[in-house]
Amino acid sequence: MRKAERSLGVVLFPAFDWAISPTHPEREERLLYTQDQLHEEGLFDVEGVREYKPDVATREDVERTHFCFPDVDAVTTRSHLVSAGGAIRAARLVMDKEAERAFALVRPPGHHAMKCVRGARGFCNVNIEAIMVEWLREHYGVRRVAIVDTDCHHGDGTQDIYWHDPDVLFISLHQDGRTIFPGTGFPIESGGPTARGRTINIPLPPGTGDQGVLTVMRELVLPLLAEFQPELVINSAGQDNHYTDPITDMKVSAQGYAELNALLNPDIAVLEGGYAIQGALPYVNLGICLAMAGMDYSALREPDYHAEALRQDERITAYVEELCRQMPRVYHDPPAAPENPRNGMREGDWWMRNKSIFYDTGGFQETQKEGLHLCGNCRGLLKIESQVDSLRCLGVEIPHGACTACQNLGHSIVEESQLKSAFRYVQLIDRVNKEYSRYGF
Amino acid sequence: MYLGIDVGGTHTDAVALDLSGPGVEVVAACKVKTRHDDLLGSVNEALERILRGVDRKLVRRLNLSTTLSTNAIVEGRAEDVGVLVVPGPGMDPSEYMLCKDFHVLDGAMDHRGNETARLDKAQCSAALEACRRDGVRAFALVGKFSVRNPLHENTLRHWLCHTKDEKGCERADFVTLGHHLGGRLNYPRRVASAYFNCAVWRLYNQFADAVEASLGRMGLGHVRVNVLKADGGTMPLAYSRKMPVQSIFSGPAASVMGIIALCEIIHDSVILDIGGTTTDIAVFADGAPLLERAGIEIGSHPTLVRALKVKSIGVGGDSALSMIGDLVRVGPRRLGPSMAEGGRHPTLTDALNCRGLCEVGDLEASRRGVAAYAESHTISPEKLAAQAVEAAARTIHEETRSLVAEINDRPVYTIHELIEGKRIVPRKLYLMGGPAKAMRMPLFGCFQLASEAPEHFAVANAIGAALTRTTTDVELFADTQKHVMFLPGLGHHENIPASYNLENAKRDAMNHLLAHLADLKLASDAERAEITHASSFNMVEGMNTVGRNIRVKCQIKPGVERTLR
Repeated sequence: MRKAERSLGVVLFPAFDWAISPTHPEREERLLYTQDQLHEEGLFDVEGVREYKPDVATREDVERTHFCFPDVDAVTTRSHLVSAGGAIRAARLVMDKEAERAFALVRPPGHHAMKCVRGARGFCNVNIEAIMVEWLREHYGVRRVAIVDTDCHHGDGTQDIYWHDPDVLFISLHQDGRTIFPGTGFPIESGGPTARGRTINIPLPPGTGDQGVLTVMRELVLPLLAEFQPELVINSAGQDNHYTDPITDMKVSAQGYAELNALLNPDIAVLEGGYAIQGALPYVNLGICLAMAGMDYSALREPDYHAEALRQDERITAYVEELCRQMPRVYHDPPAAPENPRNGMREGDWWMRNKSIFYDTGGFQETQKEGLHLCGNCRGLLKIESQVDSLRCLGVEIPHGACTACQNLGHSIVEESQLKSAFRYVQLIDRVNKEYSRYGF
Repeated sequence: MYLGIDVGGTHTDAVALDLSGPGVEVVAACKVKTRHDDLLGSVNEALERILRGVDRKLVRRLNLSTTLSTNAIVEGRAEDVGVLVVPGPGMDPSEYMLCKDFHVLDGAMDHRGNETARLDKAQCSAALEACRRDGVRAFALVGKFSVRNPLHENTLRHWLCHTKDEKGCERADFVTLGHHLGGRLNYPRRVASAYFNCAVWRLYNQFADAVEASLGRMGLGHVRVNVLKADGGTMPLAYSRKMPVQSIFSGPAASVMGIIALCEIIHDSVILDIGGTTTDIAVFADGAPLLERAGIEIGSHPTLVRALKVKSIGVGGDSALSMIGDLVRVGPRRLGPSMAEGGRHPTLTDALNCRGLCEVGDLEASRRGVAAYAESHTISPEKLAAQAVEAAARTIHEETRSLVAEINDRPVYTIHELIEGKRIVPRKLYLMGGPAKAMRMPLFGCFQLASEAPEHFAVANAIGAALTRTTTDVELFADTQKHVMFLPGLGHHENIPASYNLENAKRDAMNHLLAHLADLKLASDAERAEITHASSFNMVEGMNTVGRNIRVKCQIKPGVERTLR
């Protein structure tokens, strides 16, 4: 009987009856071959490796994390709740010590979904890692978490959600935003005024291969994690840096992904993107499963693998090495972005910034006015005014450990907004009392 | 007249059933000691006993369940096999090396059945030559994803035998190709199943020859012989000669089929077969037994052999009582028979005797034994007996609960299944085996469920064997982009048009299933044929649908032909 060095729980949920549209890259077929490969390899017969079915996230699980306008039902489908529930199940396995590591192989993905949700962005409606993290915090009292996003696209949603949270270190490795959706993720984006240096963006040039991402992992990410000392390390495991991915331009192989995972050694991995559903996903996902279980992955190769063709350009190597030298400064001594309405600026007791968010799937624009109350005694109250066309909504979040003044302020803002009827929908996330309420219809 | 024989570890049970009337009548039943060095002798003895006073010309069928293959493997009497594997990239195959003549070959097939690396003829010939030098005469040839495309397995067979003839050849007595074991994905299991199929092949065929010969001598040459499988169905003897691995661990299936024949099971239920050493727990959903998701384990090697989901725990009538501190335990050890039957250590049966729940053997011996053990542990005999019975019932209850929880936790792959997913909530207990009646009330105390122990429970397994239907299952895989449709278990493939769809696939799978039954000369079971899985995925390249990836499974539903209800 084969045995894993570390026990691994795999939540495999291919959602075989859900798709955005029949030919959309995020469709039913996406995890089909991965499932075939894992089953044909007999992975779940290995002692210590088990397959689990997902939980289903509740409306409250979503409302704990997101402002959803008009409401959760309007911006999610059942499959989103199952996908988020899959991530929660993975976390539960690890927290309950049923498994030492867990991998949620679920779809649809979530890392482009921001704090405020009004539709789908880049195939994402709700942020399944963030829903999982907030669920962990509420049910297990976890505080310090590191999320390492290895999807080829910038994890702008996760960045947005934890922008003001000093207890979450968010690190995103991705193809340079000047060349790919969503066009963000530059080193200067390093976190809000109370969480500066807790967002680390590492843009990589198109054509970066195994060597590049592994260098970043070894020389930059691991030292930062050692410094931050998180209670949990979570991998937003997008598989679209693969050399066969149809919508990106990177050169990472299944071996590279397995080694990356072995170095990072995350407690929980959650599948994000990855659309080379035949040539990459079966091999990459198997590699990650083997690495997480501490098993040998050296015999793993894509059928069309040619080491020579995947060698990265020397200029990229040089660039990556320079990046690794300079980036630690963003964590230790983060440069302040110029104060302006887009980056954020002080207005009295509030730190305000204006955001404009394009929902590529729905094809509409949202404008946001985000305010963080600069309290000094606690992390500070968060409010977001969101507008699409003429429909205005308000979200207020009282954070963990908020002081009494901020709690009162939050409640009075919600009350006042109702009296003035300036907003069609209002949502209050009260983390202190674990109350999630919404008003308006 | 139907005959059923279940060769068990301790006893060989046999029944003769008369089906000529409106009901099923047990004409004769017997239990003889199983002689492991002479299984055929045990079978013959049981046959002779049940056939006394029966007109042998009226016997139409004999269904046989035997531990022969199981024992051969457990006792290491299996023959040497040449195992040639083509694993391609992925997990390291040497971790499941099963025998000495295990050869890992170059070549690869991907998940859609595209050949991504070719076989190396020189390397294959060298491997075959090495096997021949070791005197190997049985070969298992297994490729990864061979159920998507059997090219490598077929090629290897051709190189081995220099003939495409299905029958043996000069260079090998028997060959198992991995894809013939069925269409399910699981490479290590396919390798192990093919290996075991070869390892027991010769021994099994010798036994089958001997059974046929002795039936001839007994004037039963005209009788159809079927062999029980672990999934609760039977296969014709001729077919079983090519698939002996399927006859493994069919004992629990006979018991489960027996309970189906004896009781009307409609709801979610739990079946407890309480034997001497173990209790076998099976679970029914809506009156149908549940199968193992993947297949049974043989000698700690998982295989693709379909089997009923049966959990065996170490609590039975002969389980020894023990104490840890104040805690009374039953099993899992067995230290000989109960004291009521001449043993030297008190058992559950002795405790049941003391409680007045049964009257087995020498009641006084049970009382003395329990009293002596109680005294040495400063506890009253009454308390010891009561707590022992309670502990046995509680263990069975807890193990059943965890089995049901595990079943309810099994993975599902669609939102529909997950949201609408059926949970199993047992509503009734069915009890069989020696201590069944005695344990009924204590178990009721734990489960709080209606419970029933049917008549004839002592030979329920032989009745089950006699009445079990012949079953078979096929899996169809189609890829309209590649224009192929393939039924691995039948080794059948054909070209299909791009317009081929799920409905076509369901129809074809069903037709092939029925044609296969006809080949086995079993045309009558068509009404029990059912589709158990059907899915179709659009395959997209760029923004265009380039084809469909279709999977269909169908089976003859396992069950019994008639019941005694």
